[in-house]
Amino acid sequence: MDALRCMPGVGPKAAQRAAFHLLQYDRPGAQRLASALGRALQTIRRCARCNSFTEEELCALCASAKRDPSLLCVVETPADLLMLEQTLAYNGLYFVLMGRLSPLDGIGPREIGLDVLLERATDGAAREVIVATNFTNEGEATAHYIGEMLRGRGIKVSRIARGIPVGGELEYVDTGTLAQALVERRPVSNA
Amino acid sequence: MSERRARDRAVDEGYVLHTYPYRETSLLVEIYARGAGRMTLVARGARRPRSAMRGVLIAFQPLQLSWYGSGEVRTLIRAEWIGGQPLLQGAALLCGFYLNELLLRLLPREDPHEKLFDRYGEAMRGLASEAVTGPILRSFEKSLLREIGYAMVLERDVAGDCGIDPAKTYTYDPEKGPLEVSAVASAGMKLAGQTLLDIARDDFSSAVTQQQAKLLMRLLINHRLEYQPLKSRRIFQELMEL
Repeated sequence: MDALRCMPGVGPKAAQRAAFHLLQYDRPGAQRLASALGRALQTIRRCARCNSFTEEELCALCASAKRDPSLLCVVETPADLLMLEQTLAYNGLYFVLMGRLSPLDGIGPREIGLDVLLERATDGAAREVIVATNFTNEGEATAHYIGEMLRGRGIKVSRIARGIPVGGELEYVDTGTLAQALVERRPVSNA
Repeated sequence: MSERRARDRAVDEGYVLHTYPYRETSLLVEIYARGAGRMTLVARGARRPRSAMRGVLIAFQPLQLSWYGSGEVRTLIRAEWIGGQPLLQGAALLCGFYLNELLLRLLPREDPHEKLFDRYGEAMRGLASEAVTGPILRSFEKSLLREIGYAMVLERDVAGDCGIDPAKTYTYDPEKGPLEVSAVASAGMKLAGQTLLDIARDDFSSAVTQQQAKLLMRLLINHRLEYQPLKSRRIFQELMEL
């Protein structure tokens, strides 16, 4: 039961229910769970190029010939990567930081591997780095320093846009977003 | 229960200093409020995808906060954006993190510091709008030290018990104040008399004053922190090395 509680969202009650269920009614299920966890722990590691989880040396995305190697998108977590993939709007490669700069938690450039990103971004393939960290203070600070680090080395760095959501109506948008959308307004293009 | 709840209820203007994940969907929020001072609130459900507090509980922005409770950790009921100040950008964010860490480390809990609260608001507005951050940080550091009971001696030589001569050189004893030293004296921090007088008047226009004031403030703050290092300072240095 203690072991089950290490999962997010599982408290003492839920752990007890799951444990009794597995032992009483579903021993094959428990066996499957145990071997799946064992296998995952043994085979899953970090992709050598994007730092995300994979079973191979390179993840399927990094190994794919269909992706455009001149674009590199930096995200905080593998979950963010999956979200961007669902948009079907991006055809380049990724780099997963597995975190963000958070000075008050003692998380700095070393902890999120900015040196690895620097190596990856300057290996000659990438022409543009798109920073898709969160729009929190920590994510913004991360984006700023990635920009500083790469711009000096002749790589184009861009930041994903923020503002009113697609289909959004001003009346129902939160004030913070609206204020920032005004600050970051752009000229109406005539294209 | 509801009667008690109404009695323990408070509404105050405040800033988020830092947040920590708590349980599955909640946040522990360290705040600095005008009347209540520094406090810890729990924001229940604030990490749920559709929580109204998600996106509002961010640092460096003035908020209207209401909470109830009487223990060490109160419960946040509502947080609303007051606005009127652009978000911090770029290097100013690191300055903001630094000031928040100073408050978290040096300001005692549940002790109102209204004057300092105003200084903090000014510093945030300054960081959001001005390119030069040094004077904003120095001025806030000075106010913070004074608020927690360590007003700096800046206009009197504590050894000779006389005024500061702008042309002379001084060192600074963190427990006492400025002491005159000969300009060629060996070790230790050396400050121009002019620097001390400039800090006293919050005038950081000279480059020498800015540079020396930074060293002096670092010494005094380190002393108050009993030489336990600041995380934000270490990370700033690491970022500069990139």
